[in-house]
Amino acid sequence: MKKSLLSILLGFCIAVGKLFAQDILPKDSTEWMNFLHIQNQVPGLGYQLTFSPSLDSLRAKNLNLNLSKTDSGWVSDIREDFGIFSQLQQDSLDFQLTYFIFSSQNTEEAVREYISNLMRNGDFDPVTEKVKPKEDLVAMAVKSPYSPVFGNRYTFTADLKLFVVTVIIGFFFMVALLMILVMLFLKARKNRREILRKEYDQMIVDPLTTLLFEKELDELSNMKIAEYDPYFPQSYLSKPLYQDVLIHRIIGLNKKMKGEFKEKLKTIYHQLGLDQVSAAKIKQSKWHIIAEGLVEINEMDLVETLREVKKLSDSSNFHVRSLAVSALLNLSEKSDLSFLRDQTYPLSDWQQMNYLRIIKFVSAQKQLKIEMLFESKNMSIRIFGIKLVRMLGRVDLLERLAEMATLASNEEKIEILQTYEEIGAHMEVDFINQCLKSEDLDVVKQAIETSKSLGNEASVELLSGLLENLEDFSLRLLILKSIHELDKTKFDELTLNRGNSTFVEIRNHILDPKLIYV
Amino acid sequence: MYSFLFYLILEVVGWMFLILSFMVIFIYLVMMILSSLEMRDYLRKNQFADYGDIITSPIAPGVSILAPAYNEGQTIVQNVKSLLSLHYGKFEVIVINDGSKDDTLEKLIQSFELEKSDFAYHAEIESKPIRGVYKSTNMSYRRLIVIDKENGGKADALNAGINAAHLEILACIDVDCILSSDSISRMVRPFMEETNKKVIAVGGVIGIANNCDVQDGTVTTYRVPETTLGRFQVIEYFRAFLMGRMAWARVNGLMLISGAFGFFRTDIVRKVGGYFPKTVGEDMELVVRMRRYMCEENIPYKVGYVPDPLCWTEVPESKDVLARQRNRWMRGTIETLQLHRKIKLNRKYGILGTVSYPFWSLFEKNAPIIEILGLIYTSILIFVGDFSAIYFIALLLMMYLLSLLVSSFSVLYEQIAFNHYKDKKDLRKLIWMILTEPLWMHPMVVWWGLKGHWDFIKGKGGWGSMIRKGFKTAEDRKNLSTQSIS
Repeated sequence: MKKSLLSILLGFCIAVGKLFAQDILPKDSTEWMNFLHIQNQVPGLGYQLTFSPSLDSLRAKNLNLNLSKTDSGWVSDIREDFGIFSQLQQDSLDFQLTYFIFSSQNTEEAVREYISNLMRNGDFDPVTEKVKPKEDLVAMAVKSPYSPVFGNRYTFTADLKLFVVTVIIGFFFMVALLMILVMLFLKARKNRREILRKEYDQMIVDPLTTLLFEKELDELSNMKIAEYDPYFPQSYLSKPLYQDVLIHRIIGLNKKMKGEFKEKLKTIYHQLGLDQVSAAKIKQSKWHIIAEGLVEINEMDLVETLREVKKLSDSSNFHVRSLAVSALLNLSEKSDLSFLRDQTYPLSDWQQMNYLRIIKFVSAQKQLKIEMLFESKNMSIRIFGIKLVRMLGRVDLLERLAEMATLASNEEKIEILQTYEEIGAHMEVDFINQCLKSEDLDVVKQAIETSKSLGNEASVELLSGLLENLEDFSLRLLILKSIHELDKTKFDELTLNRGNSTFVEIRNHILDPKLIYV
Repeated sequence: MYSFLFYLILEVVGWMFLILSFMVIFIYLVMMILSSLEMRDYLRKNQFADYGDIITSPIAPGVSILAPAYNEGQTIVQNVKSLLSLHYGKFEVIVINDGSKDDTLEKLIQSFELEKSDFAYHAEIESKPIRGVYKSTNMSYRRLIVIDKENGGKADALNAGINAAHLEILACIDVDCILSSDSISRMVRPFMEETNKKVIAVGGVIGIANNCDVQDGTVTTYRVPETTLGRFQVIEYFRAFLMGRMAWARVNGLMLISGAFGFFRTDIVRKVGGYFPKTVGEDMELVVRMRRYMCEENIPYKVGYVPDPLCWTEVPESKDVLARQRNRWMRGTIETLQLHRKIKLNRKYGILGTVSYPFWSLFEKNAPIIEILGLIYTSILIFVGDFSAIYFIALLLMMYLLSLLVSSFSVLYEQIAFNHYKDKKDLRKLIWMILTEPLWMHPMVVWWGLKGHWDFIKGKGGWGSMIRKGFKTAEDRKNLSTQSIS
């Protein structure tokens, strides 16, 4: 049933198509010629023109139809473009048409059938009327912009993925190019600066040596800026890079030299106005420039800038803060450390190490009020204060330490214990024993360590108790080391004849002279 | 219906590859920017750092250097002497002889006047049995401890070293690495600088010493290696150490610290149980575990990175050895990511779980698989006749350009920051390598990665043997043309 219905439907479609095709094809010969002329070309359809033999040879040549003379007249070769018909009609020439379908000669009827079939199958869509532009072609072309890559535009926009990839490549090229150009620019600039630096350095060394070795300090102090011109020309002195090289060279020499030479360098620094350059740096917004300025201030003892430096001692930038405090510690004539006490940011080990170096150096000249640091609200500052007592050997502050020890945090207690141990504060043995009973394991650990050199009989008892209660191997080793130092009999009692292999191992370890530092 | 589904899948997969390519480009561009910023800041900070104090300062932490040695008899004495001469105040060198079959231990005993001690070794972290702990009777070598143990692999040897260490920082190194004399002071700085966060580990750059001149423990003249494989690794190391890790350090997302040169906080390493000896990627696994521990304990932490050239090593220049190394790295990565899959996209683990882990998973672990899938996809497209040559070439060009950009950026970056390869010939060789490497080296790396996946599935373990040529010192260079140690 379905099949028959389908066959009927198909038959109907073909019939309608055929009828439709036949309707379009003109029956009249003139219209038929017009039809072919409008189509210009029909796939697979060719024709041959035959003109009467009376046509003169010159005219035949002018027609540009590649005519050849035969017995029946002038015959063209097989052509496919029907557009020539209009010219022939205009010239009022008589001719005969011979049709060819795929190079085989056929009648007009066969051609009509052939075109009908093409139309029915959808292989040929006839033009019913020649569309003529309403406007002048040239005028239209002017309105339409010239698009040389129109074809490519279609390709890219039609394929979205290709379009995205192309956009990425473009973006990529731009970024890559930009990055590489920036890098090359930076490298070139760096190289250029390096060359200039070397050049300036060579220009600076000789005059600086001359000034240092040939001029007295008074002479240098009385020299005016103009008098420096033969040594350091003003035209160069205004250049930032030259200033930078000069500053570095002076600071470098200042670090190496001593006594009057140091003073001479500082005088030159001032006379050339480099102190102003350094002072200006700490007012900049970029942290590394401020830090540079602080280093220069510190090295060249620019005490006049201390007020500005103090403002930076609590800066949010770690490096600025550190260098500002270093400069203050180094240059401040006062012995109070209030700027350090009032710091809100925690002090890192790195900062402590740097401050310690300066404080050690400054302590040789003046007694610093380290105890001020114990009053700080910042625990890391208080801990640093305790460390300073230990590292500077400030026995005079042990009493203050003992006062704060009772209320101290566990971290502070550890530092206090270490300080007692290093200074040898035997009078604080009660505090040590108290710490041996602490609940914080780190405090206990430090107390065990400290008791090794400062403990008493009570400590031995406490240590023995800890040994029984603590399972940790490293703590047991530590306890037995302390007991060994304090009471050898107790040590033997605890480690021998107890059947505990761990204790024997520890005993052997402690008694091995090779392991004295382990 | 089925045809429609098939084409729909093809289209979706095509888009997925495109998005992935775009992601790769975006991530690498971001990494370039981050690493540049980090390097700029680092170089600026370094101007104001005085490393002179740290050597003698009582505030500086003590460092236990752990150097596992397996069949290193030919170079062990020279290497240990070099370690003992490092410029630092408070440090000890713990050499762990991991059951060497050669004369490593004998040479150490003889050269450093060692005697078996009664060291009370306590295996807080499990390791293979210890045969003995040796100490020198000569005070000049008081810093040296030699542990002789049964063979158990690098991680196991390091665990034995951790048990014997008693200083605050652990420096885990390969014994055959060349360390700069100021390497400890520079690596220790990040531990000392941080105030608000606990620095749990610090990674360093590994330089390539092949074909370079070495004097007094420092590379004095840099030259690119003579082999193309060596040169490829120079570019690769630049990309990894100068770009990748710098960028990750910027966002505190470092997941890997090279096992050849890494510093760790001893207490945290002990708390997490030391190295995991059952993985070949023990260095990465330890960092991930330490980070995981800090996140779980809610302790603010940081993993630092020092881009200064402080450690140099010899890279493999034979294809077989390199293949084994890459295979091992891939297995190590897979194992670590598998072990810690709990952190994947878990906000509790911060940047580690939400950024670092997915990145490693997608662009390190699965990269070879994705690339091979891309090839299969292209083959299918050709087969079904839906293949667009223009699109394919454009995509290929895009990825080639990315490789070119990243590599050239890394080389330029090195030139600006350190400028080690001063000879223009060397630079030309590196540029040629940048241009050609994606075409011939990259497919090999992908293949080795795939083999790593396959070996992981098969459950293959172990390190394979590493054949070293030995470093050439400036003096050696005059006398020796080649030196091989097997």
